[in-house]
Amino acid sequence: MLSLLIWGPLFGTALIALLPAAVMTPARARQIALVVAAGVLLWTGYLVMQFDPNLPGLQFRESLSWVDSLGLTYQLGVDGLSLPLIVINSLLVLMALVATDLNLTRPRLYYSLVLILEAGVAGAFVAQNLLLFFLFYEVELIPLYLMIAIWGGAKRGYAATKFLIYTAISGVLMLAAFFGLSFLSGSHSFDYDGLQAQALPMATQLVLLITLVVAFGIKIPLVPFHTWLPDAHVEAPTPASVLLAGVLLKLGTYGLLKFGFGLFPEAWQLIAPGLAVVAVINVLYGSFVAIAQTDMKKIVAYSSVGHMGYVILASAAATPLALMGAIAQMISHGLISALLFLLVGVVYSKTGTRDVTVLRGLLAPECGMPLIGSLMIVGVMASAGIPGMVGFIAEFIVYRASFPVFPIQTILSMLGTGLTAVYFLNLVNRVFFGRMTESLAQLPRIAWRDRIPSIVMVVLVIFLGLQPDWLVHWSKSTTLALSEVNRTATALMLPDSEP
Amino acid sequence: MDFATLAAQLNAGTILPEGIVITTLLVVLVGDLIVGRSSNRWTPYVAIAGLLGAIVALYYQWDLSDPISFLGSFNSDALSIVFRGIIALSAAVTVLMSIRYVEQSGTSLAEFIVILMTATVGGMFLAGADELVTIYVALETLSISSYLLTGYMKRDPRSNEAALKYLLIGAASSAIFLYGVSLLYGLSGGETRLSVITTNIAANNVDQSIGVVIALVFVIAGIAFKIAAVPFHQWTPDVYEGSPTPVVAFLSVGSKAAGFVLAVRLLVSAFPLVSEQWHFVLTALALLSMILGNVVALAQTSMKRLLAYSSIGQAGFVMIGLIIGTEAGYASMIFYLLVYLFMNLGGFACVILFSLRTGTDEISEYSGLYQKDPLLTLALSICLLSLGGIPPLAGFFGKLYLFWAGWQAGAYWLVLVGLMTSVVSIYYYIRVVKMMVVKEADEMSESVKNYPASDWNLEGMRPLQVSLIVTLVATSLAGILSNPLFALANGSVEKTPLLQSSLNTAQTALVDQSVATSSTPAPL
Repeated sequence: MLSLLIWGPLFGTALIALLPAAVMTPARARQIALVVAAGVLLWTGYLVMQFDPNLPGLQFRESLSWVDSLGLTYQLGVDGLSLPLIVINSLLVLMALVATDLNLTRPRLYYSLVLILEAGVAGAFVAQNLLLFFLFYEVELIPLYLMIAIWGGAKRGYAATKFLIYTAISGVLMLAAFFGLSFLSGSHSFDYDGLQAQALPMATQLVLLITLVVAFGIKIPLVPFHTWLPDAHVEAPTPASVLLAGVLLKLGTYGLLKFGFGLFPEAWQLIAPGLAVVAVINVLYGSFVAIAQTDMKKIVAYSSVGHMGYVILASAAATPLALMGAIAQMISHGLISALLFLLVGVVYSKTGTRDVTVLRGLLAPECGMPLIGSLMIVGVMASAGIPGMVGFIAEFIVYRASFPVFPIQTILSMLGTGLTAVYFLNLVNRVFFGRMTESLAQLPRIAWRDRIPSIVMVVLVIFLGLQPDWLVHWSKSTTLALSEVNRTATALMLPDSEP
Repeated sequence: MDFATLAAQLNAGTILPEGIVITTLLVVLVGDLIVGRSSNRWTPYVAIAGLLGAIVALYYQWDLSDPISFLGSFNSDALSIVFRGIIALSAAVTVLMSIRYVEQSGTSLAEFIVILMTATVGGMFLAGADELVTIYVALETLSISSYLLTGYMKRDPRSNEAALKYLLIGAASSAIFLYGVSLLYGLSGGETRLSVITTNIAANNVDQSIGVVIALVFVIAGIAFKIAAVPFHQWTPDVYEGSPTPVVAFLSVGSKAAGFVLAVRLLVSAFPLVSEQWHFVLTALALLSMILGNVVALAQTSMKRLLAYSSIGQAGFVMIGLIIGTEAGYASMIFYLLVYLFMNLGGFACVILFSLRTGTDEISEYSGLYQKDPLLTLALSICLLSLGGIPPLAGFFGKLYLFWAGWQAGAYWLVLVGLMTSVVSIYYYIRVVKMMVVKEADEMSESVKNYPASDWNLEGMRPLQVSLIVTLVATSLAGILSNPLFALANGSVEKTPLLQSSLNTAQTALVDQSVATSSTPAPL
């Protein structure tokens, strides 16, 4: 069942890439990509229906042996941690495809790459074998590199190469940690289940865990390793930005929870305070830098850095509620940042600039873009955590759950919410209010194609804000089970700490 | 000694594959003499049929009960079979690629094929040679034919320069190798069979002498020249750049594989007494090759030089498998060479095709190729990304297996350097991909602007197309469907008595060591 999430898009890729050019016109390539992505989304919906939220373990398991000499098996499964991420992957890919410019150059290559990306990310979220996860994690590298390098902005070559090198290093570190874990624990297999029961010395666990944190920290991104992200976002075309912020960054936090916390619960206890501090740095640094930016995409990109900090904070706290908050924040950030990038993309494509010092009064009802402006205001409110929207729910759970564990860090992180309001209100105020710039008086019409994805996002943002149970009840049992492991780990450690 | 025992001692059936290659070679040579220039139509296909026939014959030798032949000078064990297969296969693909290339240069095709097949025969004998004289003769057959091939484009001064450089450095290194071999001969009291040398050296009580170490160093110098390991690599870029491209393809795969099998056989069976020393030397060579090969490749502007440095780096990766010397290590080395065969030959097929159509090998001239020739772009991208180790291509699995084997054997530094340098390698491989795929129509190079329409019906283009497609498909799928290749690699290690016995001694040494260290606290 899960295999379809991987092989469906790949089949679409094969169709688009291999059929002769006479049959595969740009319009047809787009149709096929849309149909495939919609099919995958429907299939994901069906999986959600079939998913039993009361079971803590993996569901829809698939297991095939693959390369025995390597310990690489084709093991798939979803739990409450990965299910929401799979949904958001399928959703955002479809939205990114809808929002894609019709007059794109090299459409066949583009649609093929997007579908490969979808398959790779879905594969990473469902893989239950460490090497299989690594394989899918690396599969996503080249398509995104090419998307940035071909359809990106002026400095696209630089940004794409930077992204490639950072991600490749992240992959290498991850592989080293996986090798170390499997070899030292003596299992000689890379199956997740088998490795969960490892009992390594604490020092070894710490080394491996810190390697993993750095590896995933590059992807999330944690602050000293974040420099690739603003460049990549600014240069990437809108659909790539949407996918990058909405889905690909989640690979980092997902990996951290699944492989960092899930495999090293004891060592996690030791580094959690440090992680919480890193989270605070992420939040504050991202927010302060965002205030100073004038490029709308850079503002959203740095706000991403800040908001991923909440996920880290909650992961560090690692109570059942905090883990639920981490998942909720991943989803909320996925929706909101995708929404913001979509809207910025529309503004850029219509006005030709993203500079907040140039743009003025776009909310003007006659010749401006009132609908886009209104959606932007909703998105900004959601990002700043205004109640009634998904951002509030997620951030509230995160703070509520982290406060008992890390009070100071949580309070400092809360500042981030205020700062979010500062930079986003600043942005909205400058770009959408006031008198419209004369030179921008003749804006091209905005097609429904551009509006629909944003509207869908806004609807989801508000709906999940009003009905938050739909956001979190998938992951209740899983987070409970995960933190059970954590509690036993703490219980095991306590006797040691007493002399 | 009556005839029956003599025949049994000779056991000549083991060299049936080489016999097939030699017969084919003679057919091509004589046929060309009799028929003349028009023989070009059929000689390449006869050669390919012969080489494939040799591979089929090798397949039937897999379960040979008595692999020792010619009174111990040739050993047709499973290890040699795999490597002879690799060498013959790389020669067959090279023939496919060279037909058009050689014809376009206006030189005789049959002669080229004859020399190439002679080199192949040399390589195949080297893979099974179990005695010093046979080793040297086979090595020289391979080397001298390689010099000839390198200088085959007589009118091209760069080809001549490459041949001269290769000849001078090659002759020096083979002299050094010969000196090392002669030391072995003396130390063992006049013994040439590899399996006996060690026991004799030990029996003569010279196992601690400096002579063994000097012999080792000289022998390694000879081998490292063949596999182009740093610092014996200086010939590689110049020779690769100047030589005809099909020859480079063969040198980088077939000749290199022959060097590796020689390394395995000679080091494992003749130098177990100084195994610590040779491990140290090889570790240094591997580290240097990985670092220097991959870093210098970053700065190259010619595609052939880039592939030359990349092949130096790749040799460094393969050496990891040899150094760790575990069962998984040897198997991963064989597996990697198998996939390396496809991806590297695929890369060279693309380079040949591009240079046939445009007449240049400069990387910058590849820019914008996607617009004109999607198939070539796809094939070259796939092969380069596979060399860089991007999943799900074959090279990814090869590297994974090598590194995993290295990690299991505790060679952490080698593996970490390997991982880091493969990140570097991704950078320069993707630079070429970017040049081809990313550049817009207005950034096209002159060569690509004047790119001729793809015409596969020209004489000799079909075989090139076949080789391109075969290597492309193999590179894409050999990783995903890698179980047969894994089985082949593991099986050949399991069935080779030489490697098995070395594994056993290594294991007992390990046990001894752990007994010795168990009294002292383990360092963390």
